[in-house]
Amino acid sequence: MDHFAEVYPFSAIVGQDLMKKALLLNAVNPKIGGFLIRGEKGTAKSTAARALARLLPEKQVVDGCIFGCDPADRKGLCSECLARPAPLPVRSTRMQVVELPVSATEDKVVGSLDIEQALKCGERKFEPGVLARAHRNILYIDEVNLLNDHIVDVLLDAAAMGVNIVEREGISYTHPAAFILIGSMNPEEGDLRPQLLDRFGLCVNIEGDKEADTRVEIIKRRREYEHAPDAFILSWQAQEERLRECIRKAKDLLPEVSASEEILTMIAQICIDMAVDGHRADIVMLRTALTIAAYNGRTAVTEDDVREAAELVLSHRSRRQPLSEQQQQTDKDKVEQSIQKSQNEKNQPEQQQQNPENQKPKENTTPDGSTTTQFAEGKSFKLNQKTLATARRIDSFKREGSGRRSVTESRDGKYVRSRIPKTIGPDIALDATIRAAAPHQKGRIGSLAVTIETSDLREKVRERKMGNTVLFVVDASGSMGAQQRMTAVKGAILSLLIDAYQKRDRVGLVVFRGNSAEVLLPPTSSVELARKYMQQLPVGGKTPLAQGLLKALEVLLREKMINKHTLPRLILISDGKANVGTGTGSPLDDAKVMAARIRDEGISSLVIDSESGYIAFGLAQTLAVEMGAKYLKLEDLQADQIADIVKGIQA
Amino acid sequence: MQQFEEIYPFSAIVGQEQMKKALLLNAINPKIGGVLIKGEKGTAKSTAARALAHLLPDRLVVDGCIFGCDPADKKGLCLDCQKHIGELKTKKAPMRVIELPISATEDKVVGSLDIEHALKKGEKKFEPGILAQANRNILYVDEVNLLNDHIVDVLLDAAAMGMNFIEREGVSYAHPSAFILIGTMNPEEGELRPQLLDRFGLCVEIEGIHDAKTRVEVIRRRRKYEAGPEAFLCEWRESEQELRERIVRAQVLLPQVTVSDDMLMMIAQICIDMAVDGHRADITMMKTAATIAAYHGRTSVGVDDVKDAAGLVLSHRMRRKPFSEQQMDRQKVAQSIQKSQGSSAQPAMAHEHTHMHTHDHQH
Repeated sequence: MDHFAEVYPFSAIVGQDLMKKALLLNAVNPKIGGFLIRGEKGTAKSTAARALARLLPEKQVVDGCIFGCDPADRKGLCSECLARPAPLPVRSTRMQVVELPVSATEDKVVGSLDIEQALKCGERKFEPGVLARAHRNILYIDEVNLLNDHIVDVLLDAAAMGVNIVEREGISYTHPAAFILIGSMNPEEGDLRPQLLDRFGLCVNIEGDKEADTRVEIIKRRREYEHAPDAFILSWQAQEERLRECIRKAKDLLPEVSASEEILTMIAQICIDMAVDGHRADIVMLRTALTIAAYNGRTAVTEDDVREAAELVLSHRSRRQPLSEQQQQTDKDKVEQSIQKSQNEKNQPEQQQQNPENQKPKENTTPDGSTTTQFAEGKSFKLNQKTLATARRIDSFKREGSGRRSVTESRDGKYVRSRIPKTIGPDIALDATIRAAAPHQKGRIGSLAVTIETSDLREKVRERKMGNTVLFVVDASGSMGAQQRMTAVKGAILSLLIDAYQKRDRVGLVVFRGNSAEVLLPPTSSVELARKYMQQLPVGGKTPLAQGLLKALEVLLREKMINKHTLPRLILISDGKANVGTGTGSPLDDAKVMAARIRDEGISSLVIDSESGYIAFGLAQTLAVEMGAKYLKLEDLQADQIADIVKGIQA
Repeated sequence: MQQFEEIYPFSAIVGQEQMKKALLLNAINPKIGGVLIKGEKGTAKSTAARALAHLLPDRLVVDGCIFGCDPADKKGLCLDCQKHIGELKTKKAPMRVIELPISATEDKVVGSLDIEHALKKGEKKFEPGILAQANRNILYVDEVNLLNDHIVDVLLDAAAMGMNFIEREGVSYAHPSAFILIGTMNPEEGELRPQLLDRFGLCVEIEGIHDAKTRVEVIRRRRKYEAGPEAFLCEWRESEQELRERIVRAQVLLPQVTVSDDMLMMIAQICIDMAVDGHRADITMMKTAATIAAYHGRTSVGVDDVKDAAGLVLSHRMRRKPFSEQQMDRQKVAQSIQKSQGSSAQPAMAHEHTHMHTHDHQH
């Protein structure tokens, strides 16, 4: 943490009580496992995370240990501390907030070969990375959803067991890395990978305050702070001290807090009913409820504690039903039901009869009054290869092999091995270079321990996932429900998904219906997941085509930003009958404007027209022209005598 | 592997019997060839794989050999041991779990030139990597589906030959590298390459427990463990010891377990009916069934053992269309068993089978 910068005091943050609560609970009990702040820009996310550092109580560390080992925990000591004679020198220090910048490289995160030591003394020494500094501290990642995929892999590996195992660049090293993970993200810029999401103990969704008075108060305090930071901090010192005292008391009380059998059953019942994956939610919910009780100065967990904990623990864990706008509300109701259920001891778990294979469309009425229908997926069919060839030719990219990870020329990606460079570039693999130079040292004379000649130089070979990102933009409006249209559409998407699976493309799903569009599935390599979401897709309502395209554009632009080498493709499945616009123009004109933007961004696209019936409006085709997209009719995808039509399109 | 945290005891894991069984069978009989654990997040996948390390039995190794060569296996000895054959000292050592981190680079996996030795002595000396340590041990890869393709290639090479050949940086070396591969993965993060999939002897798919009472037990044990790991370990020491002894007993019994011709027929029939690729499934199923019998203290393989084994061996080997729910068709297995049991093949039965078959395709 930067000690030079003044930090805005935690207690001076206006509002955002849920976020502050989550932070404080983590300060009381680090075992909760960190949390994720999801919110729009400028909602004091980072300010709060940084301010927390000032509130954290002191802890005992082994003096001189780079990992800050806990002297009381014999088994958790790093190898250096174990080798030192007992008793170990102890000092107390404050917990720190270690920031992981989104641009961090893998070697800086996990640690690598110490270059200076290697060159000067010819010795191999481990240079600790961010994970080493994060041990027993807070690891804070701003914009965590923009983190590179391979850095996320490494984080997951370490977070799973609190140990960082390094086997790279000539170094074998293992050190403890148990940290509290705090991330902040703006969901507009895409979601997190499910496995990483689950590593955050809690999650809070925040938004800017809508009260004018509160907003004014925020501006005032900020102005005051910027005008004279020292004085401002001083004026809040008493408050900060009180909060610190509160944390200390709760920490002392925590070991005495207990939860009754009824509470445990309640927690389990809630987790079952919310259909969370695995058991981590249960365990975290109990920890959180215990901590809440301690924070409130009680030694027994109450129902309200569980309710509060559930909100913090479940928001990022419950399996979302596609396109349910009033999710938040239903979730709370559901939790309430579970609590009731667990209290009525005749607990007969209601078996939710969900059968996606059911051939009859399910009808249910959403609170907004419109009727949604859920269609089964049509049978998948073998795609006509020629048609598909056209579909695939929408990108000009020549694929080498299938969409496997390929070697990249740029400096991002995982360092996997080294080679003799053709021209000497900046990406030198030092370990390999020294290894190449080492046997010749006897004959060379230089001032350093190792003399390196040009012929020794080796460069890093990096690998990264490469392949296409295929984003399906699906029209789920009422008009698609006619004549089992959706069943055929689902069949078509499934067939395209199978193709993506074989090519190892990443796939995503954007759906528009009613008044808005939603990213059902951010681009992922799990095609299986895409299929699950698609199965549950409800149909009904109006057609906000322009919103759908806009959402798709956002997703693909972000995908390009994170993953410079990805080749975004957009597949729109719609009949083009837009009837909800974005602004002043007619809905169809709005859609055309968006289509043109997609073309201008250089995103290759394909329009699959689902229009049927005798009267054809050809709206989707018009749209395809605007988008510079290839155009196919739904029927074309499975017809056998397609060759002629395909030729016609190419011409 | 250095442990920084107490390890949650294997026997204290609630439920997930299939996963626990698959791991134990591998501890008894390394020839089964490892296990892949697929499951949603938070289902004790990694906990179980790591906890297994404490249950592993002792085996005889050459004292001082970095590869832990088997003194009884004269042909499988490393170059060093071959040189000193006749004067090898042996000792007992437990099998270990070697962990392969996702961020590993190739040089540390296959081994490379020893930098320090080269700098100080000017000599080229081979420095063994993870594949060397893994010989006759368990190689554990957490989140195996996130492993780099290049590292996967290296692993596959070694797994296929049981040897690791190094030709790099002026070092030529070959050493035995026969390991049991244990991997865990969350399918939501992407699938595994088919070649790598086939390298796992067994595969189990697990999910969270849906029964409230059992779930409460999960929470309760975890809480107890966190409140006082030492006390918790103490409490479970006895059942851990029991399990360890059971593994040793099964190991002793295993060479005596016989598989009758009828049972072999049954295994072959199941594999034919399930349309698996190649013959690895048959062989693994036989070994697994024999190990299950030994685990239960029996010396001959019964129908239930085969049924059990089929569940573990086939789920990842079925030639599956992508997206067909990969629930292995237990009914189909049961039918194959019946078919092979009714040696005088009844036409009615055969008819029923074809009927079921077409029915399956309609889904």
